[in-house]
Amino acid sequence: MSGGTVDRARAMAAPLGRPALAAAAFVVLAAAFFAVIGRNPLSMIGVVLEAAAGDSYAIGESLVRATPILLCALATALPARVGLISVGAEGQFYAGAIAGTGTVLSMLPTPGWTMLPLMLVTGALGGMALSLLAGLLRTGLQVNETISTLLTNYVAALLVTWLVYGPWKSPASQGWPATVEFPAAAKLPALFDSRVHAGLLIGIALAVVLHLVLTRSRWGLVLDVLRSNPRAGLVAGLDFRRNALIVMALGGALAGLAGIAETASIQGRLQSDIAGGAGFSGFLVAWLARNHCLRIIPLSLLVGALLASGDGLQMFAQVPSSVTLVIQGLLFVAVLLVNGWLDRKRPG
Amino acid sequence: MHLQLRSIAKRFGAILAVDGVDLDVDGGEVLALLGENGAGKSTLMKLLYGVHRPDAGQVTIDGRATRIDSPRDAMASGIGMVFQQFSVIPALTVRENLALAHASTPWFTGRGARRATAGLAPLAAIAPDVPMDARVSSLSVGQMQLVELAKALQQDPRLLILDEPTAVLGDDEVRRLWSLIRGFATRGLAVVLITHKLADVAACADRVAVMRRGRVVASGAARDFDATRLLRTMVGERDLAAPSTAPLPADAPTRVWIRGLSARGPGSRIDGVDLRIARGEVLGIAGVSGHGQDVLADACAGVLSPDAGEVIVDGETLFAPRQRAPRAGRVAYIPEQPIRNAVAPDLPLALNLHLDRLHTLPAIPDRRRMEADARALLTRFDVRPADPTMAAGRLSGGNLQKLVAARELCGAPALVVASHPTMGLDLAASAFLYHQLFALAQAGSAVLWISEDLDDLLHHAHRIAVLHRGRIAGVVPADQRHRQTIGAWMTGHADAEAA
Ligand SMILES: Nc1ncnc2c1ncn2[C@@H]1O[C@H](COP(=O)(O)OP(=O)(O)OP(=O)(O)O)[C@@H](O)[C@H]1O
Ligand SMILES: [Mg+2]
Repeated sequence: MSGGTVDRARAMAAPLGRPALAAAAFVVLAAAFFAVIGRNPLSMIGVVLEAAAGDSYAIGESLVRATPILLCALATALPARVGLISVGAEGQFYAGAIAGTGTVLSMLPTPGWTMLPLMLVTGALGGMALSLLAGLLRTGLQVNETISTLLTNYVAALLVTWLVYGPWKSPASQGWPATVEFPAAAKLPALFDSRVHAGLLIGIALAVVLHLVLTRSRWGLVLDVLRSNPRAGLVAGLDFRRNALIVMALGGALAGLAGIAETASIQGRLQSDIAGGAGFSGFLVAWLARNHCLRIIPLSLLVGALLASGDGLQMFAQVPSSVTLVIQGLLFVAVLLVNGWLDRKRPG
Repeated sequence: MHLQLRSIAKRFGAILAVDGVDLDVDGGEVLALLGENGAGKSTLMKLLYGVHRPDAGQVTIDGRATRIDSPRDAMASGIGMVFQQFSVIPALTVRENLALAHASTPWFTGRGARRATAGLAPLAAIAPDVPMDARVSSLSVGQMQLVELAKALQQDPRLLILDEPTAVLGDDEVRRLWSLIRGFATRGLAVVLITHKLADVAACADRVAVMRRGRVVASGAARDFDATRLLRTMVGERDLAAPSTAPLPADAPTRVWIRGLSARGPGSRIDGVDLRIARGEVLGIAGVSGHGQDVLADACAGVLSPDAGEVIVDGETLFAPRQRAPRAGRVAYIPEQPIRNAVAPDLPLALNLHLDRLHTLPAIPDRRRMEADARALLTRFDVRPADPTMAAGRLSGGNLQKLVAARELCGAPALVVASHPTMGLDLAASAFLYHQLFALAQAGSAVLWISEDLDDLLHHAHRIAVLHRGRIAGVVPADQRHRQTIGAWMTGHADAEAA
């Protein structure tokens, strides 16, 4: 066959690096998609770029979208370090939003400076609780964590809906199902005069810290062993259960933090559907980054920008915003293709 | 079939694993492929089976140049292989494993594999006693080996490659395998048998080829290679000092007491095992595999929590129901199947050498120090290549076994539990490992040594206990005079003791 030429092409492509190749494949795929829906690929790509990073407002919106994705990606990557596949960031996001909102509502008439830290901590605890549930089911009853986290996603989202239609509905909001507006004391500080809030910085800092802990510490080695061969870990006396619970708990806390930060600082109140798929985008980002915490940072920003450009597309090019979901999908397809191509029968 | 390999070469990074090999294999004959650990035997055969692709060289089958890019190509060319590391899926049943590997099974078979009958015939022919609907994880190692063999036979190969199939088998199983192999050759199959055991060569080889450092250094008719000549070609002029255990003083105090231990594993169990091992004693556990050896080993090493009983070391209960002290430093454990039970294959050797003492490292381990320690240990135990940054899964089968031995035998443990510790080792490495093991005993460790090789046990152990159906059938001093008694106990004839 053409093995020789393919090998040569692969050898020539290697120095370009995966990211560059994946980006090129992505642009080609996206252009093809625009052509298929009857739009001029070049001008559409121009619109996407414009809407994602054209001016400071666009950049700000991109960062706003990236923030929860970053935290949710970390929430997925952590359990993956012991080989657990959690798809529960979306549900943990909602659980965090609920718990944090509960704190805010209970302190409401007299918000003090303690509201913000308490809200963040309870939000993180909420996400942690939901994630721990899946962790306990896995370590105690051998229930597959992927299935249980998938199911708890629905439970948590429905719980939010029930709360905002029922007990927590604001009397002032008339028909609209939402809680009362959060006080200013519950908002994270904004960055450079935009909607971007300190959650982004927290996320980036956590990604760096996690990266250092996972790659440099003894605990990181323990997780590596448990992922590589749980049975060898057991024989060596390592405790899979305990470590699985710890990473599930930490991961859940991160997604919960994303949830309450988004609720308080972006939405300003709790309402349905606020996650907007951040949990799932986070899962895909973690997968793209191969659970590498540092790589998660730029990839979250990229995916956040893509999603943010959806609004621009809707406004300037009159296409449905769901087009951006297709584009997001194409990004993953592009990376899959490039990885598959480079890895196929790679010698050794 | 006539198979010709010419100038085959394969490099892994800095390592030239196969370095210009010429080899011929003919239908109707058994070729024994020998050579030290890491010589390149498995790699050469994996090249032939399409697992790796050669960097250079030609493969010719019946006069036609053949390119083998994948195991699928190899099967299509009539080549079947049983790997050194098992490839059956433990969580599935025997029937499901065979159905999945069978060419006629459609990819969408789903749970239908439960009832499948495809591909069962070879297993029924070679091992009618293996239960079809048992999970593979519950089989003994010998039975797993037969399932692997049946899997390879399904494709009706004309060339069958067996990578160290006798390493894990007991006497009877080995004899059964030998006669199977001779049978294949009589039916016209070509067989390549990789082995470290001279008995295998004597029993069934027509030709031998010896590899060293990626090259075939000697080959010829098996009858021209008697044991002495084989030994010399394999280990060179080095003298293999026979390892020996020091005699045990009559008043040696008990160091380890395995007290009324009962435990259950996936396939077998032990029931009220009571053994005392003296300071400096090597206690051999004999028995047909599948009678609870793995459970006994796991329970004595604290990996498996017992249902009853306890393991008392130096007067202190280490393991009991719901009680598990850390074993590091006190109990060394070489489990069977190291790739499954004792190493993290995609992590570096340095980390693997610290696996059981991770908790003793500082919170931020010093990598350079870990690697330096590892390098010293790798050199001492002759693990090749001695590169602490290499992933453990890239080691040859024997070197992997040495890696685990290096980790477990480097300290001064009170109890050593060793399951088939020389599995896959070449003659020099086996001798070295026994030296290490017996040196530990001499320094005061109590050694629990599980083996299927009764000759080795009789040679080196102080006493031998026989495990049958999870119970200790009896304990005798390791002496040739007791061979028959031991044999009787192993097959469940407790009353033949008088013989
Ligand atoms: N996938 C791999 N990547 C890197 N190196 C490898 C790989 N497979 C084998 N090697 C190296 O190639 C050499 C030959 O290994 P091979 O497994 O063929 O030895 P072997 O003769 O089968 O030894 P053993 O008797 O121990 O099984 C070894 O140095 C080994 O470390
Ligand atoms: Mg080998």
